[in-house]
Amino acid sequence: MNAGALAVLAGARVLGPARLRLLLTHHTPHEAVVRLRTGRPLHPMFTRGVPPERLESLRQRVRDSCPREAAEVCERNRVAVVALGDPRYPATLLHDPEAPVALFVRGDLDVLADRRVGIVGTRHATAAGRATAAELGSALAAESVAVISGLARGIDAAAHRGVRSSDGPGRAVAVVGSGPDVHYPKPNADLWEWVASSGLLISEWPPGVPPDAWRFPQRNRILAALSEVLVVVESRERGGSLITARAAADRGIDVMAVPGSPRTRASFGTNQLLVDGVAPVTSADDVLAALGLDHRRQGRLPFDARVPPDDVQQRVLDACREQSSNLDMIVGATGLPISDAALAAARLERSGWLVEAGGWFEPVGSRLCG
Amino acid sequence: MIATVETATILGARGHPVTVEVHIAKGLPGFTMLGLPDESCREARDRVRAAVQSSGFHWPEKKVTVNLAPPHYRKVGSGLDVAIAIGVLAASEVVPTDAVRGLGFAGELGLDGSIRRVPGIAPMVGVRLDADWVVPADSVAEARVACRGIIRPVERLDQLVEALGGAARWPEFDASPSAFVEPELHDLADVKGQPLARLALEVAAAGGHHLLLVGPPGAGKTMLARRLPGLLPDLERSLALQATMVHSAAGVALPPGGLLTRPPFRAPHHTSSLGSVVGGGSHQLRPGEISLSHGGVLFLDEMGQFPPQVLDGLREALEDGQIMVGRVEQLRVAMPARFQLVGATNPCPCGGSGSPGDCACDERSRQRYMRRLSGPLLDRFDLRIPVNRPEVSDLLDGAPGESTGEVAARVRAARSVAFARSGGLNAELDEQGLNEFASLDLDAERCIRAEMERGRLTGRGYHRVRRVARTIADLAGRSDQPIEERDVVSALGMRARVGLSAVGAAA
Repeated sequence: MNAGALAVLAGARVLGPARLRLLLTHHTPHEAVVRLRTGRPLHPMFTRGVPPERLESLRQRVRDSCPREAAEVCERNRVAVVALGDPRYPATLLHDPEAPVALFVRGDLDVLADRRVGIVGTRHATAAGRATAAELGSALAAESVAVISGLARGIDAAAHRGVRSSDGPGRAVAVVGSGPDVHYPKPNADLWEWVASSGLLISEWPPGVPPDAWRFPQRNRILAALSEVLVVVESRERGGSLITARAAADRGIDVMAVPGSPRTRASFGTNQLLVDGVAPVTSADDVLAALGLDHRRQGRLPFDARVPPDDVQQRVLDACREQSSNLDMIVGATGLPISDAALAAARLERSGWLVEAGGWFEPVGSRLCG
Repeated sequence: MIATVETATILGARGHPVTVEVHIAKGLPGFTMLGLPDESCREARDRVRAAVQSSGFHWPEKKVTVNLAPPHYRKVGSGLDVAIAIGVLAASEVVPTDAVRGLGFAGELGLDGSIRRVPGIAPMVGVRLDADWVVPADSVAEARVACRGIIRPVERLDQLVEALGGAARWPEFDASPSAFVEPELHDLADVKGQPLARLALEVAAAGGHHLLLVGPPGAGKTMLARRLPGLLPDLERSLALQATMVHSAAGVALPPGGLLTRPPFRAPHHTSSLGSVVGGGSHQLRPGEISLSHGGVLFLDEMGQFPPQVLDGLREALEDGQIMVGRVEQLRVAMPARFQLVGATNPCPCGGSGSPGDCACDERSRQRYMRRLSGPLLDRFDLRIPVNRPEVSDLLDGAPGESTGEVAARVRAARSVAFARSGGLNAELDEQGLNEFASLDLDAERCIRAEMERGRLTGRGYHRVRRVARTIADLAGRSDQPIEERDVVSALGMRARVGLSAVGAAA
């Protein structure tokens, strides 16, 4: 009964997280809905802070919706409603000063028991920034660390794509600013569903709530609160990722930033964070060290399952170790005929020694991944 | 008195027959022209009169009426001058009417009575293949290309009148076309390094694939594109004739032999208007750059900077091999436009080298930059080649690569194999043709399947890769065997992603 009532109250699109929390400190969700519907007075601590016309529109919205239907919609979309006080409610959020009163959750909440690193950044990311985010995501996943991000364009999506491309045990956690069934931005829909099915997707809002601009800074506080370490990969001089960084700093969570060129606008914000004293990230090890995982002592896997490269392939691999190379450069460095070079590079890629992107070949495991 | 004289006018790339009828009668002296002459043609009135008088003939002080039949299409340009002058002289009995029968006249008159060349002699002469033609002396070669009858080159109006009247012999002219062959200026040996781009040129030439070069400024995209026509074989006779007609109609210089035998190369600038690229524009419906590149190569540098209408205008030609240009008041005119398209573009607005980490552009601006190349047009390019700046060491002391001659020999062999196999070039293979002529061996199929399962190859991309792989195998001399894995991976390397940034996409 409470699940439906919570979905109705949060989905009314009138109350922000703070007022919602205020309302539910004085009423149970069910009682609040009944009072709003029948027009009976609410607790004065709540009504004092709400303009009368807002209150009226809230009553109208609540009257127009049905808690039972809202609960069914959640169930149909496999969205679990976890209210503050529910035993499943994430412990890290429990004592947060701005804890959401309810979470609408898809996937497995146990992911939050893993070590957790948030990776955030600008939507206007450079190619290098997205590659960095993807490599960090993949390296952390390989060390069983859960990667928390926001599923936005640019850095956020790249970080989760990195997790997806890794075969490590680490999983993805997404904190989104719309309903858990409302894909935003659209091009990330497949990633969205992948996170929901193999990791954890959290929203403060019930299914169907559209991605209003003001909800994104709000979700950043949840993202920050869930992280043990927050890494900002790229950020402009102002932007949502800096809000997340501030929210993390307020909660005593370590913030780290990836340094970038002072000429690139996408690095202005992160470089400013570094000037302000956050720790730099130059490799995945830096993040693991901040988590207290000294990963170098664990040693590498004793057995490498990849097919060892043959002579020709070894020459191509060596050429690509030198610097990320395209076919022209491989031919130049090895002197092989172009079709031999292309064949060797393609086979190396299939057996997992190289990655190819847009015609450029890089060895798997760059410096960033240790 | 009345006289009829045959000539022709140009519409698009084709000539249309025109009969000049001249009527001279008593009445108020005057000169009227009927039959839809356009502005440039109406000026003939004053030129013809001046030329007749300065050649020493008497201008009839009577009412002169000239009709250009048939009257339903516009007569354009000054090529009708000579015919009108001869008509007037025949009607006033200076020239015997019998002498002009069976003769066509083309050419412009100077005020001093000299006969000058006009654009479009070849298509004009072509409308009456078997007639004899009187043409300006400097257009002989051009006229001979299109005409089987006797060509009478004449330099002056008085010479022409004397010859028609039997008072003098027709002026002699040198009948042997010059054997001068223009040397190929752009040799592939000049390209240092860049093995992928060189291979791509070879594949494009052998398979007839449209080619998109994606690379930063200074990578040599234009240099590469200029070397494509050199790899193509000579034009076959009918194609050469069509191309010559178009060049003649547009007034573009023809080789000394008159017939265009080498594939043309056209590179319009991106500020060119729709009319100049696609064709049309005036009443004459001039052939555009796409028709001028018929049988050859159309190179569009900075392709994204062309106005969208121009790029859309290309699509009809790419589909049908011709372009229909029409005007409300007259016929729709088809012009041939079967060309090989070579496009060039920067990978992104910042003009960086394109290597990972060297681009300062954000995703949005890259997408906006590339969105200017519309999807349907992009789909036409079987080959999308990343072109990289050559290494300094290659530039300074790299050995020269294979020359155009060596590569062209392989291209010729591959083209004839493809023609013998499917009756066309590999770029024209559709799905059925691919299944029939481009089977994959086991490794090749596994390679393509893996690529598709990883979502890096779409259905359309699959067909493109197979066509290109077929050409690569043909060039390697394995035209009668199924496609191997090495062909497929080379073909896969020839489809640079356009629009999306290179690096994040793989993650």
